Amino acid sequence: MATDDNFPCSLTLQVPFPDARLASVALQALRVDKELSGLVKRELSTVASPSSEDAGQTVLQVDYKATTNRMLRVAVNSFMDSLALVLEVQEEMDVDLIESEKANN
Amino acid sequence: MPDAKGRRIALGCEGSANKLGIGIIAHDPVTGEPTVLSNVRDTFVSPPGTGFLPKDTARHHRAYFVRVAKKALSASGAGGRKPLRGSHRDGAGDNGGVEPVVLYVSGGNTQVIAYAEQRYRIFGETLDIAVGNCLDRFARTLEISNDPAPGYNIEQLAKQGGRVLLDLPYAVKGMDCSFSGILGRADDLAAQMKAGEPGPDGEPFTPADLCFSLQETVFAMLVEITERAMAHVGSNQVLIVGGVGCNERLQEMMGAMAAERGGSVYATDERFCIDNGIMIAHAGLLAYETGFRTPLEESTCTQRFRTDEVFVKWRD
Repeated sequence: MATDDNFPCSLTLQVPFPDARLASVALQALRVDKELSGLVKRELSTVASPSSEDAGQTVLQVDYKATTNRMLRVAVNSFMDSLALVLEVQEEMDVDLIESEKANN
Repeated sequence: MPDAKGRRIALGCEGSANKLGIGIIAHDPVTGEPTVLSNVRDTFVSPPGTGFLPKDTARHHRAYFVRVAKKALSASGAGGRKPLRGSHRDGAGDNGGVEPVVLYVSGGNTQVIAYAEQRYRIFGETLDIAVGNCLDRFARTLEISNDPAPGYNIEQLAKQGGRVLLDLPYAVKGMDCSFSGILGRADDLAAQMKAGEPGPDGEPFTPADLCFSLQETVFAMLVEITERAMAHVGSNQVLIVGGVGCNERLQEMMGAMAAERGGSVYATDERFCIDNGIMIAHAGLLAYETGFRTPLEESTCTQRFRTDEVFVKWRD
């Protein structure tokens, strides 16, 4: 991503999901919590996986830019906590899982 | 979304302070009758003498979210359904149409409220800390257990006190009140007690006497401002909500005042008084039914959201 004189510290995360729907759900859930500090900028998007061309936008891309590495680390750590929760909810509670659990009971 | 019976279903998540709650409610499409399908809560309890820190609380909520959500979802399909009683709306309905004065007392809020023209209007409130915060912090001073809740343990301890009513500031200012000075004085008295100094009558006093004196003082203040609001709006009904509303001594004192005015007090129990997902689900579904929508991309979280900001389209 383009460098920015005021935000020299940057990090890009790419989080692969099993399908485009789950990637989109994660994007929408994570986007609700805005970055609280003006010293950090974050952009979320879904992109196509470089390895497969026809699977749709299955990768959550997170572009962070911050004024200092310290701010970058704090923001990314916090984001990872939220991401972990989103992944846990998807693993444990996604629609088809609930339906299959109902069927088993 | 509607269920098999055509009822609208909503799920509410509550994650303020140290409580994580998830509730699921159903509204009848014709009568609007609300039914609680499930209401599950998990509380982060910090060790005696300590409060809950935001970082630890957030970690707790993340760790328990899936567990609580699964419990709420499985309970919602498994019968045991109870009609909801004790929401603001039902509080008004049960009293034959008389609009109650609402006392909202919790760890984060202390407000006297009355409904008028589609808003809950704030008549009076704390000028500094909430009454629940005052009680919680005093429990920390005395190093009382936070399990199940510091306020509950103060209430139980206060029942053993009462030999002496220790002198604490009484801080009512018009319709508002203040608790931080009272807490400061109570902390001073606790330090005196620990140092073995006698009370005002020359006799020693106990943690139970301190809890008793603190409760009697702050609850008397709450009763006073509630009564003034009742006189102002011409109501003889009181509805107590918020976690401190579970306190039976507060309910008793408020009940005595309301009885003298020919009315009564309505209080609920911990299921609906303490932070819970059901109140979120119920309010959200009422708003939804009157056309209120927030697209996900416009959703935000805020720590500051006052009672009187909500436009209550679902009431007359």
